[in-house]
Amino acid sequence: MAEPILEVHDLRVTFATEGGPVPAVDGIDFAVAPGETLAIVGESGSGKSVSSAAVMGLLPSNAEVRGEVLLDGRELVGLEADELRKIRGNDIALVFQDALSALNPYYSVGWQVAEAYRLHHDVSKKVAFRRAVEMLDKVGIPDAARRAKSYPHEFSGGMRQRVVIAMALVNNPRVLIADEPTTALDVTVQAQIMQLLADVQEEFGTALVLISHDLGVVAEVADDVLVMYAGRAAERGTVRDLFFRAAHPYSLGLLGAMPRIDVPPTRRLTTIPGSPPSPGSISAGCPFQPRCAYTERVGERCVTERPELTPRPGEGDHEAACHLGRRPEVVA
Amino acid sequence: MTEELLRLDGVRKYFGLRGVPWQAAQAVRAVDGVSFVVRKGETVGLVGESGSGKSTLARVATRLLDPTAGRVEIGGKDVTRVRGRRLRPVRRRVQMVFQDPQASLNPRQSVGTILSTPFRAQGTRPTRTQLVELLHQVGLSEEHLERYPHEFSGGQRQRIGIARALAVSPDLLICDEPVSALDVSVQAQVLNLLADLRDELGLSYVVVAHDLAVVRQVAGRVAVMYLGTIVEEGPSDQVYNAPAHPYTKALLSAVPVPEPGAVRERIVLTGDVPTPIAPPSGCPFRTRCYRAEDVCATERPVLQPVAGQTEHLAACYFPEPPTSERT
Repeated sequence: MAEPILEVHDLRVTFATEGGPVPAVDGIDFAVAPGETLAIVGESGSGKSVSSAAVMGLLPSNAEVRGEVLLDGRELVGLEADELRKIRGNDIALVFQDALSALNPYYSVGWQVAEAYRLHHDVSKKVAFRRAVEMLDKVGIPDAARRAKSYPHEFSGGMRQRVVIAMALVNNPRVLIADEPTTALDVTVQAQIMQLLADVQEEFGTALVLISHDLGVVAEVADDVLVMYAGRAAERGTVRDLFFRAAHPYSLGLLGAMPRIDVPPTRRLTTIPGSPPSPGSISAGCPFQPRCAYTERVGERCVTERPELTPRPGEGDHEAACHLGRRPEVVA
Repeated sequence: MTEELLRLDGVRKYFGLRGVPWQAAQAVRAVDGVSFVVRKGETVGLVGESGSGKSTLARVATRLLDPTAGRVEIGGKDVTRVRGRRLRPVRRRVQMVFQDPQASLNPRQSVGTILSTPFRAQGTRPTRTQLVELLHQVGLSEEHLERYPHEFSGGQRQRIGIARALAVSPDLLICDEPVSALDVSVQAQVLNLLADLRDELGLSYVVVAHDLAVVRQVAGRVAVMYLGTIVEEGPSDQVYNAPAHPYTKALLSAVPVPEPGAVRERIVLTGDVPTPIAPPSGCPFRTRCYRAEDVCATERPVLQPVAGQTEHLAACYFPEPPTSERT
């Protein structure tokens, strides 16, 4: 792997609530290099969106963030607000899931893209608007010069997501974080947007952190994958490690639970019993233990001792946080 | 031939847009001429992208909406014009499971009250044993009867929605996006539950979904909708392995496959779905189709058997040849 542009070490996020502190992210590490794609996979409540918001410094004031976030070697955690503002949207940008709520209904889309440019460049409104039109054209908005004067409600869902991507890319960031960028879209539009992100990456060498629950999308675009469960890393490795050599029972369960269009259906999908724990209700042991089919074979250790990410022998950087010493088979 | 549970004949559903003085009233053609049959024991998948009219069709089929034109038959009886109290026997045969269990369960009612509502609507009173039996069928237990919807996870709430639909012992369940609000691991539990109920109770289903993989998992037959019409219909194996309509082909090719490095030919459609207020003349898909020719703009193609098949239908002037003849 090339020298990483974004490195996250032991990131922890705790929310202060009326019911006491709730840990949402409990010590995760990841890194992504220019031109590469890291996918963070997990179900709702796994902490994947909170992690990305923490990297961007976008969490509310009741969140306590600890750990290191290094952008090109520079520490972002604890940076003064106005210093962070210079970096955010410029060197590192975020594409939100819901384009309609990420756009202001009151301003034309061209104005909004231009505003993002003017925040980081001392140029006239006219120059910024020209840059916005250029960007909208680049993300595939037909007749961009005219459409730049339209308002968000005049665009379809897919076109709005293109506008949000144009806004994120207008300052040519080195790292792009995309939080479920296609979840709200139809599959044919999803294919268009994923193609667009791939083109952008190739042209500008942008590092992409893709947050997704869709393993199909992940298999297609990711180089490396981090599987999160209950605020912790369950497994980390290359995309091939995860899909061909899954080492954590949770990853394996996710793969088995997903219906596929490319193979004839089996009568039953394999399932993971129960549902993901809510943050704050996690015991001392392995957070996946109450749902795990292997816990009986390992015994007490799963309940008392929290497993750390450990390298899989002979598999390079492939790591899993599981006490089971060997590879799990198909989850029953 | 097995019993027909549901038959739709040339069903249209237009939603009126109010006219302004200088403009004629317009209509959104949500469903624009659909004919469709569900037989006993079948699971039929209804797939399409947002705005294709699949949810509206499901609501017309359950008589939650009145069709603008066409006929709805349930159990061999014409129920198109049946209203009010006389719909009760219809409701006993066909029930609906909704997408969002958060929104379709009353937060102020206990599970017991929620489950007894269908009985009361039919003019009967359930016994506690009956309610517990319903909970057992969907994998919940007696202790859940006194609880309220917020005390359950998303997957459990969807189970309650299914139990409510089962209360009147229907023959046919129409499920509108039953798992799209759920996490992958929970989604699989609910899909397995639907399969188990089919085997135990001899239920039939119409499963409306935008997720093509979900439909492949559960449905024996599948109908693909685009802009208010069915463009292709047939046994799942045939439609998924050898799609005949260019839209189906593009749709299937757009679904990402969870296998890194898999090489697949992808047809990326350009543009967006046209507005259902003024759909294109002729074939509704022709504006985005890679095979479109002049004839496609003339008259809307009708569903007809694909070469060499009897049950596999496509509405296209230039359908893809059967797999055996493809190179």
